[in-house]
Amino acid sequence: MVELIFKRFTLNQRIQHILFFTSFILLAYTGFPLKFPEAWWSSWMIASVGGFDNRTFIHHYSGLVMIGVSVYHVVFHILEKPRYDVLFNLKDIGDFKQQMMYYLRYSDEHPKFGRYTWKQKFEYFGAGFGAVIMGFTGLLMWQPFEAMKYFPIGLVQIANLFHTWEAVLASIAVFIGHFYDEHFDKFMNLSWLTGNIPEEELRHEHPLEYEAAMKNRPIGSSEHVEHKPANNLLIVGFAKLVFTMIFLAIIIWMLWISYSVLVEAVRIYIL
Amino acid sequence: MTILVSIALLFLTAASAQEIIDESCFHCHPAQVNEFKASIHSNKNTCADCHGGDININGTVVSINVMHTNFTGKPSPTQVTDFCSKCHAESTNVYKESIHWQKLNEGRPAATCTDCHGVHNILSSKDHNSSTFTENIPGTCAKCHENQTRMQALYYGISTDRFDTYKKSFHYKSYMSGGKMLATCSDCHENHNTRAQSDPKSAINPANLPSTCGKPGCHEGANNVFLSGGKIHEEQSVYLLSFDAKRIVVYFYIIMILFELTFTCGLIFLGIASKFEIRRRH
Repeated sequence: MVELIFKRFTLNQRIQHILFFTSFILLAYTGFPLKFPEAWWSSWMIASVGGFDNRTFIHHYSGLVMIGVSVYHVVFHILEKPRYDVLFNLKDIGDFKQQMMYYLRYSDEHPKFGRYTWKQKFEYFGAGFGAVIMGFTGLLMWQPFEAMKYFPIGLVQIANLFHTWEAVLASIAVFIGHFYDEHFDKFMNLSWLTGNIPEEELRHEHPLEYEAAMKNRPIGSSEHVEHKPANNLLIVGFAKLVFTMIFLAIIIWMLWISYSVLVEAVRIYIL
Repeated sequence: MTILVSIALLFLTAASAQEIIDESCFHCHPAQVNEFKASIHSNKNTCADCHGGDININGTVVSINVMHTNFTGKPSPTQVTDFCSKCHAESTNVYKESIHWQKLNEGRPAATCTDCHGVHNILSSKDHNSSTFTENIPGTCAKCHENQTRMQALYYGISTDRFDTYKKSFHYKSYMSGGKMLATCSDCHENHNTRAQSDPKSAINPANLPSTCGKPGCHEGANNVFLSGGKIHEEQSVYLLSFDAKRIVVYFYIIMILFELTFTCGLIFLGIASKFEIRRRH
């Protein structure tokens, strides 16, 4: 069987994604133990990176990497190579409505997505705004006394509040939402590594993009490859098992974190 | 007969003690003497220096012999400062400028030397077991300052959440996570010279905060900084059109997180449910 393979992410985008998620994971790993110093996992996680000073160092410089990638992304993709298909449009509202109808059994028809689904657009802009908030507030918290030369201490403390809450919000979005949609539901989705998306998957996940690509396809533009059925079921199954366990542990961790911050906030600010 | 019994009792007490101390006070106050023997003062002072009396008289006969001279018993908080000032004149003079002494002098309860340094078991502040060792200072201050009944009874208007709010600061979190304590109570509030925030000489008076934070080894060069409100333990209120900004931030994120959790988990659940539906139809 011959199958087409489509390019979804360029090498540039894949490197950006790898740098972004590596710094994100390191930031979460070195940041949440500081948020919950009394939790049993906190001292364990800090010890695993080699002590408190290492934790601070890793957190600061991963933050710089994240800011660097974000700035590069804005400069390159918005000023050099603008894309408009990632912006929200009216079709997304219809898609959302249709998907809800489909999920709630009012309709048998799943919406047909283009290159980016409404959920992916949310994740993209969420990550963008998140990086802006975390970057600015993080820089203020890194050098509070430099910051206090220009802003009153109250604003630096507000920055602290923003940083800690946005961290929880972003981690829920990434560790639960993004992990499930892109890496668990579509297991093993290797397009973040290879940049390619198989024809079957593209037709299923992004039918409009597939149709447009097939319509405009110049002959010989796409690679024809032999489709090999998965003969390494054992390895894939094992990988899926391991991934499921890690994913479940992270979900429980995230739910514990959100529960703790919400309970504490309600206790302090509402009661 | 009575002599035999008392000798037997004496023998039992002496045998149960870790160390046989030939001192008259020990026979009746072994715990206090043992504590004192382990303290930094053991080679320099005797019980009599603070309690009066004569320790050279054989206490086994009758206790009145020990107490026959100017025995004072338990010294009052103000007397304690007199005893300490005999050797630690400078520290005592500095302490006598503090709010603790000011209140004590007015006849109200407040911390005297022994409340922080310990009574018989005074250790060097470099000793890890000392109540004045850097990492033990928060606990020492919290003894009174976290005690709600004590703080309320005194009507000083001091909130009892100072240790709890300090626990949220980076200064303390570092210590909790296995690092060093970056700044302890006395680093900002001064140890002997603790003053009210309203006192213009206080280290935590808003006008003096830049120099307090800018101590060598801390945030050096912290001049011309906006520490005007001077609230460090809690988030300063920043008002946006008469709304407290920190409340706006927290309410916003509470709603966002609840919304996001419901939405994300709900969509995952619906997605899984819809897959089962498709499988059943086929």
